[in-house]
Amino acid sequence: MSLDTSTSGFGWRAVQVFTVLVYIFMFAPILVVIVLSFNASQFGGFPMTGFSLHWYAKLMQNDSVLRAFQTSLWVAVVTSIVCSVMGILAAVALVRYEFPGKEWVNTILIAPALVPETVLGVGLLLLIRFAHQPRTLWLLVLGHIMLALPYVVLVVQARLIGVKRVYEEAAMSLGANRLQTFREITLPLIMPAIVASLLLVFTISFDNITASMFWRPSGVETMPTEILSMLKISISPEINALGTLMIVVTVGLPLLGGGLARYLAGSAR
Amino acid sequence: MKISTTKRLERLTERYLNGGMDRRTLLGLAAAAGATAGLSMRWMPQALAAVTEVRFDGWGGVVQEAIDKYAFQPYTAKTGIKVTQGTFGDENEIITKVKTANPGEYQVIHSSGVEYYKRYVDGGFNSEINEANIPNLKNVMQAMIDPFLKIAPKLSCAPYDYGTTGIAYNTTVISDAEAKEKGVALLTDPKYKGKIGGYADMETRLWYAALGTGQNPNDIKDLDAAWAKVRDNRDLVKKYWSSGAELMDLLAKGEIVVSDAWSGRVAALQQQGSPIGYLDPPGSFAWMEDMLILKGSPMTECEELVNFMLDPATAIAVAEGQNYPPSLDPTKVKLTEKIEKLPAFDPSGTMKSLTFADAVYWGDHNDEWTKQWDRISKGG
Amino acid sequence: MLSAADRRRPWLLLAPSLITLFVLMILPIAIMTMFSFYEFVTAGVEKQVFTTQNWHDFLTDPFYHMFLWKTVRVSAITAILCAFMGYPAAYCIAMTTYKHKWVLLLLLIVPFWISFTIRTFSWIHILGEQGVINVTLMKLGIISEPMPMLYTEGAVIMGMIHFLLPYMILNVYVAIEGIDRNLISAARTLGCTAWQAFYEVVLPLSLPGLMAGLLLCFVLAAGSYVTPQILGSTRDALFGNIIFDTIMSELNWPMGSTLSLVLLILLGAVAAIYSRYMGLSRVFKGLGG
Repeated sequence: MSLDTSTSGFGWRAVQVFTVLVYIFMFAPILVVIVLSFNASQFGGFPMTGFSLHWYAKLMQNDSVLRAFQTSLWVAVVTSIVCSVMGILAAVALVRYEFPGKEWVNTILIAPALVPETVLGVGLLLLIRFAHQPRTLWLLVLGHIMLALPYVVLVVQARLIGVKRVYEEAAMSLGANRLQTFREITLPLIMPAIVASLLLVFTISFDNITASMFWRPSGVETMPTEILSMLKISISPEINALGTLMIVVTVGLPLLGGGLARYLAGSAR
Repeated sequence: MKISTTKRLERLTERYLNGGMDRRTLLGLAAAAGATAGLSMRWMPQALAAVTEVRFDGWGGVVQEAIDKYAFQPYTAKTGIKVTQGTFGDENEIITKVKTANPGEYQVIHSSGVEYYKRYVDGGFNSEINEANIPNLKNVMQAMIDPFLKIAPKLSCAPYDYGTTGIAYNTTVISDAEAKEKGVALLTDPKYKGKIGGYADMETRLWYAALGTGQNPNDIKDLDAAWAKVRDNRDLVKKYWSSGAELMDLLAKGEIVVSDAWSGRVAALQQQGSPIGYLDPPGSFAWMEDMLILKGSPMTECEELVNFMLDPATAIAVAEGQNYPPSLDPTKVKLTEKIEKLPAFDPSGTMKSLTFADAVYWGDHNDEWTKQWDRISKGG
Repeated sequence: MLSAADRRRPWLLLAPSLITLFVLMILPIAIMTMFSFYEFVTAGVEKQVFTTQNWHDFLTDPFYHMFLWKTVRVSAITAILCAFMGYPAAYCIAMTTYKHKWVLLLLLIVPFWISFTIRTFSWIHILGEQGVINVTLMKLGIISEPMPMLYTEGAVIMGMIHFLLPYMILNVYVAIEGIDRNLISAARTLGCTAWQAFYEVVLPLSLPGLMAGLLLCFVLAAGSYVTPQILGSTRDALFGNIIFDTIMSELNWPMGSTLSLVLLILLGAVAAIYSRYMGLSRVFKGLGG
């Protein structure tokens, strides 16, 4: 008896076709953005009036977009480093130790992913107001750390479970202390998880808009909020060009990182 | 232009303070990531140079492009002071931002009229301009200065331009004759359901509802009827636009065929060759815009900027670019033919032919009506 | 027996995360509760006196009820449509014998890397008057006037499905992938048709994944306000938009706090009911891998 019976026949064909349609649904709109970014027309819609790189050139001269890009990049890099360190420590605690209240701790760590971002946004803003602090970029960083933490904990936890405890025990029995063990054994083993979490946090932070709209200092735009305010003005081909560039960066980066992680995992083995 | 010694000292102090802050930021940055170092270095000079920058917030799109091209760029070239710019689509947005920001974060605002001016003054955000620093004020129509002086005894702004919110229509769909005949009623004409646009702003909505119900917008007797008219309009509207650029986009693409619209933006569309007609119905909503300097701004630099912008050569170039007539008194300054043909242009210099909003009347009801409009716009 | 140091260690490791979450999440919610009992004076100003006015306003004003109901309705429709679209796809990915299955899985992750804002606005090019659908149909002569699709509730739901579908598919996929294939084979040898095998074995066993996906989609949809802002007209606002406008435009912090708490309580209740039957950690199983 093989599995073939459940993967054949008319029903299965229909499922396959449907799946292809779902994938088209997910990617067609994005492809349209990419295609339209090369449209020569001054309006962002169809029909295409010719191929042009004009909008990319215009984008490169757009100061506010460049400023927003720098802001987002800075926030995302700081967030991903701090958040990954915190999240990895927490994940180690959850995987390597048994302690009372673990279930409870787990729930709290996951909570920010389930509480609506709008509520988290309002809450942090109220805290700042309550403490009479100005809104600065650091508020954005702190907020993004909170938003991304659950995902780091989840991802790193999943990888850590796969790292056998015996390696560490062996190292310790050979006379290495805890720190040495961590540096020489655990760290290389969980390196792929670290890279993955850095990238994950980076994307979460770089992409966040819902909560960032509440937190950003007045007058400061991050990449997504800049796109939103550009959208309010018009659907210009410039936005399509910007979208395309961002897709290239945010898809290219993790693919590169994924390759790197695989390479590191290979060399650690 | 020379800057006084006290000003220099002030700058030094501020620089020092900024320096202290930057060191902290720098430490944070260094600890955070080597990767960002290249970036942060590019930021530092910006922060240090805070005093050689003036912050300007305007209406974006072609209007701000004209101001940037004909006023800010020459100004920067002349003085070395950079003008950093932000945009907003409706003035409530920027007032809210000013309310939550620290003094000095926002400096010069292209504000839209006396009723808004009153709200800045009521909130205590107005500065006191030293008129001696803006000699070009003498060319400005007295009829445009007086309304502002009624709100606060010392000017916090310089009147800069004016225009109307009339009715724009697509001439391929609506003939000039039809527009003239129907006038305000076009905005609630069921024939154009789903093809009507409108400014997402309480004042404009209620103003046109008042006109539509035959009332005086500056003294609405039957408010319920006016709100009912707002609802009628809402049910026919495809989209309420929230910026001048969006208005132009919607009209140019034919997504809407009729809308209340800003005179200057329509003129810009016409110059681009779009088949758009413009009509100022009786009682059309006129407004005078001003360059407002907020409290906490570097006054000397801001005054210098405003004076530069009011210089006849600059003001005329900007006016031609943004398609709104300048505040310059046409009886004192020779304006160009192009300006004299702009919609809303008043050759007498008295502003008597235009209907402005009564700042006190609208100011008193602002909170209440904004809430009401907000609900209506969301389908309430 | 563990030494004292050993017992302390996990807490030391957890401290940075827990402290951060306490200060940035739990404390703010407490402050939010407090603010909801403050009195609103005028935009940006509130008086710190105890009043139940805000809650009274919320409970008596049909405007808020209408939007709460609408938000629940729109989110439920979104979540259910996600399930109908996502389940077959997840089933297909899990069951396929296709050699390069990893490509399919990778493509499921890729949307998470593409900016949410860009994914959302891309629908303008599909649904707009000059979008793909209208332009194509008009070229083909099927319609003479562009159909109004953008800036409607349908467009908002479409945008949210587009953003939530990967969450649904991943959750269901993980559940189906975890099913022991021998069970299916056994069912077939015992005379089940392919459809019966699916209905009797695969569906029940993947139900937890489906439920997790539904919860996640519902919660994320109900909390959103950017999608309606980009793809909807002002009339298609959701509860999140009301909160945002109350806080950011009206500067009415007490009412904004009240409304935020309402949303939190509503979605918290949904999650609590779910976790009673399923356990909360399931929800993110699909994302943990």
